Amino acid sequence: MSVMVDDDLWSAVGDPIRRRMLDLLLNDGSGTATSLSERLPVTRQAVAKHLVVLDRVGLVHATTAGREKQFRVDQAQLARAVAQLAEVGAAWDARLQRIKRIAETIQRRRGTTNDSEKKQ
Amino acid sequence: MCNQRLRKVARVEFGTIEREIHIDASPEVVFDVVSSPEHLREWWPDEAEFPAVPGGAGRIGFGDCTQGGIWVQFAVVEAVPPRLFSFRWTHEEGEPVAPGNSLLVVFELEPAGNGTLLRMTESGFRERGWDEAKVAAEYAEHVTGWDFYLPRLPAYAEKVAAGA
Repeated sequence: MSVMVDDDLWSAVGDPIRRRMLDLLLNDGSGTATSLSERLPVTRQAVAKHLVVLDRVGLVHATTAGREKQFRVDQAQLARAVAQLAEVGAAWDARLQRIKRIAETIQRRRGTTNDSEKKQ
Repeated sequence: MCNQRLRKVARVEFGTIEREIHIDASPEVVFDVVSSPEHLREWWPDEAEFPAVPGGAGRIGFGDCTQGGIWVQFAVVEAVPPRLFSFRWTHEEGEPVAPGNSLLVVFELEPAGNGTLLRMTESGFRERGWDEAKVAAEYAEHVTGWDFYLPRLPAYAEKVAAGA
């Protein structure tokens, strides 16, 4: 169950237009399909569809105070999506540290750091 | 363990992971470490079987396969020593490797001073779906964690140097 949610969450933030919408909403605090479409190269209808996707995975929440729905970013849910990517990033940080240590150890054993330049 | 000198490019774009690290070793040495199955086993999977040439298909293994370990498909995309090495992984066995069913990892090497600037990019999360990527990476991290590997490095390095 939670696996499905994660996958949908990822797909939701994977789209560049939806990411720009999140940026705009974060910046402005809130927005409507109309206000967002005025600042994006897509129609109001397209923005509305993207908002449905974002709403479904809990990245935005709507309130119906005025004539049009006002959307806000759910910061906790967004943080969760970002944290998931950070986990994979952390795994690569550890791998690259190992690559560095292995390569530098080999180089030190050979004792000729300038090898590559001399060859050229 | 405390000597974390990784220079991280702080650009974690959604769907792509980018890293940059300076290594005090020649591009030839670094290329060998990032591309040969023998070295790969020391910094990432427990097993690695693939020809390090473009189109080379193989697999990498995590954990003891008799005790719930897993094999993950692995295919070399480009190998241009000592400048570029890229591969795709996590596609299904028997499935032709392609964008959309796998993650792409690209290593770019650039001479920098007496060493090498190594750039790593992993992409394809959006196309692949988040779940598989997360599971694969978590599993890999779990079984090849820093604590597990650190004690093994000095002995391994001596082995390499003796053979070099």
